[in-house]
Amino acid sequence: MASRYLIAVSIALVVVSLSFAVAYGALGASVPLEGLRSLARAYVTLAYAPWNRTLTVMSPEAVTSIVWDFRGVDTFFETAVLFGAIIGTVTLFRGIKPSARIGEGLSAIARSAAAVTAPMILAVAAAIALHGHLTPGGGFQGGATAAVVALVILVTFSLGYLVSGLSKERALMLRSAGLLGIAAVALIPPILGGIVFQNQAKELSQFSYPAYIGGALTSGSLLFYNLFESLAVAAGLTLTIMLLLSPHEVVEEAVRGEDHERI
Amino acid sequence: MIDIEVFIKTFIVLALFGTAGVGLYGVVAKPHATKKIISLTILGDTVNALAILLGYRYPGGIPPVYTGQPPNEFVGRAVDPLPQALVLTAIVIGMAVNLLIIYIALQTYRLYGTLDTRLIKKLRG
Repeated sequence: MASRYLIAVSIALVVVSLSFAVAYGALGASVPLEGLRSLARAYVTLAYAPWNRTLTVMSPEAVTSIVWDFRGVDTFFETAVLFGAIIGTVTLFRGIKPSARIGEGLSAIARSAAAVTAPMILAVAAAIALHGHLTPGGGFQGGATAAVVALVILVTFSLGYLVSGLSKERALMLRSAGLLGIAAVALIPPILGGIVFQNQAKELSQFSYPAYIGGALTSGSLLFYNLFESLAVAAGLTLTIMLLLSPHEVVEEAVRGEDHERI
Repeated sequence: MIDIEVFIKTFIVLALFGTAGVGLYGVVAKPHATKKIISLTILGDTVNALAILLGYRYPGGIPPVYTGQPPNEFVGRAVDPLPQALVLTAIVIGMAVNLLIIYIALQTYRLYGTLDTRLIKKLRG
């Protein structure tokens, strides 16, 4: 018990001293910053700069420019890590079959409200994902919002109702289609004489995705990356929700496995 | 009327490190693995919020989204977009790591029948 107090007191000391140090410039800069660091200045300046066509991303949203252009390979492997985690979950729950029995769900009032709001949430998710290159948001945020619809349907209707519309295999297929789309958008430039993950034309490589389609600003590859990423994330998270919220008895039986029976 | 700079320097930084401290305490001192996992997510999210704070700037502090103002004015006021992009990555990686930890916890429960680290420590074989 005494060790617990010792831990608490030492953590409190660390908290106070660290916050004092950070507030007075221990990180080399004061909090909040007064100006931008030179790297951040370059990102903000070049995100949307039609007057500098060989360096710009042509997206007014600096964060999405960094995520899918300046540091695109970084995001690609981040997506790969997420995919690995979801594959791990599916492997762990391989014995579980989400039951197709359609339950009663909540009351008629709750079900009607869910039926009205679910398409609205989907519309908001699509807006977040498809406008990711213009306004704050992007593929991951849009996909996570779309996965909320699955959660709402699961709670108000039933797991069986969700599974009857979107089975485990179909969700995994959608997820893979999204990832293949991302890979295709990344690999089209080298096939046509550009660099991997290239978006706009550069000095040494003239390949360029169209910055405008039909007069609308699409920021080249950013729109496609956001579209496919939202598809992959929405399907992946729906799959995880579906598996993790399976009935208790089914999960327990699968989680116990064979070792437990031998004992 | 309190100055926003003083407010950030005193209250927000202290609150963020305080929350991180609570998370750290939970990871170190709580015996049950589920509570350790919850504390770890609190710790991770607080560190993300701290990274966002480090990108904030004052005076200025508008979002890094170009809305058609003169470019010089935009660069002169926009916050640092790099921490925001890195936090987006960190959230996704954090979710993947949490899934992996939950997997390990489930495997532990499957093998030992408990998630209490005090009991797991005493088990042999």
